[in-house]
Amino acid sequence: MKALWTGLAIVLALLVESGLGRMVPAGARVFDPFLLVTVYCALSGGEARGMLAGMAAGWVQDIHFGGPVLGLSAFTKLLVGYAVGVGSGHFLVVGPAARALVLLLATLADTLAFQWLAAVFDVPVLDLSPLALASRATLNAVAGAGLFELLDRRIARSFAE
Amino acid sequence: MAAVLDTRRSRYLLVGLVVVHLVAISHQVDGGGGASLLQRGVFAVLSPLQNAVSAVVGGISGAWNGYLDLRGTHEANQRLHERVRYLETHLQQRAHLAREAERLRDLLGLREILPLETTVAEVVTRDGLPWYRTITINKGARDGISLEAPVLSPTGVVGRVIAIGPHAAKVQLLQDRDSGAGVLVERSRVAGVVSGQVGFSDSASRDLVMKYVPHLADVVVGDLVVTSGQDQVYPKGLVVGRVRFVGKGSGLFREILVEPSARFDEVEEVLVVSLPRERLDLDRAVR
Repeated sequence: MKALWTGLAIVLALLVESGLGRMVPAGARVFDPFLLVTVYCALSGGEARGMLAGMAAGWVQDIHFGGPVLGLSAFTKLLVGYAVGVGSGHFLVVGPAARALVLLLATLADTLAFQWLAAVFDVPVLDLSPLALASRATLNAVAGAGLFELLDRRIARSFAE
Repeated sequence: MAAVLDTRRSRYLLVGLVVVHLVAISHQVDGGGGASLLQRGVFAVLSPLQNAVSAVVGGISGAWNGYLDLRGTHEANQRLHERVRYLETHLQQRAHLAREAERLRDLLGLREILPLETTVAEVVTRDGLPWYRTITINKGARDGISLEAPVLSPTGVVGRVIAIGPHAAKVQLLQDRDSGAGVLVERSRVAGVVSGQVGFSDSASRDLVMKYVPHLADVVVGDLVVTSGQDQVYPKGLVVGRVRFVGKGSGLFREILVEPSARFDEVEEVLVVSLPRERLDLDRAVR
């Protein structure tokens, strides 16, 4: 059942990214809904679920928006999912502020890992300026923390009913 | 105990998946080919959803623009009669339709001029990852589009098809760092290769870099740059852009920046070249 919800979340992320790319191309370059899915799964389900969700989300992202060499996003999101899952087992990540911090760090890690991996494999990609990196991390952190909060409230309400 | 086992299992899984990914990426880097089966499968399943979202977003943004226009008109003409507002809205809709018709006429005009078999496609989405410059179009293998097919707009060359599904295709824009096209300076016939810039994705990366032009070559600002046809991807003579900057560069070659003619962020419809007519004729002659 969890796998089904994760799959639906990834499809939703694809649709959000597609819609954003059509309306505001600059926004699509900054906002990463696939990373939000990865982090949420890792926080709520631990490292195994986090890395599998991250891998699946990354492959969908690579196939639809990546360049000729596939698997770079899948690889970085696999690592981010694992790291966030392990971290959430050691630290108490509760509340929007803590989650925003996790999302901020996860975005930075994902972005830097991608650029590092591209350099290692000699895949030509555009670099991200520090400003773009900061805005990407901030936007993902703020939007993600808000979305996670809404999602948790919704889940809690459905359990209460 | 169960938690320890779970952690250990996760670690093994992580190591296994890391190795699989490293092998998959290395294989593509070495062989130059993508994971086409997986790519085709995911594209086939998910691209109709993307097309649907594009249609919905197009509708919503159209309605939203209409709403904004209407509000602007309302604020500007509050004293006017209801009928005038209604007519103004219609006028705007007509203007929008006229602009669309003009755009399509341009596209059709180009289509008639070109000695190529082409298919008109709409842009579904673009730039989902900041490191690449790609767009997705709503035509795929079932519409006769093939890998490496050149993609054009009425103003210039857009890019080439790098991944394909039954009803969608991914196009690598000329702005991408990994792109490349053989070009000529039309006036002096100086040859080179244009590609996206090495640098930050969010600043100063709109221009293309023209590489491998020797210091003695005759290139000046304002020169028109067209495809040379030597890369076996882009047909000869298509407009790429105009030279915007000519510098000394380092080493043997000049530093030349080309302002692309295609407006990559605004392009909504494109022409995808199926097969050059000459090549079709050649095939027939050989047979």
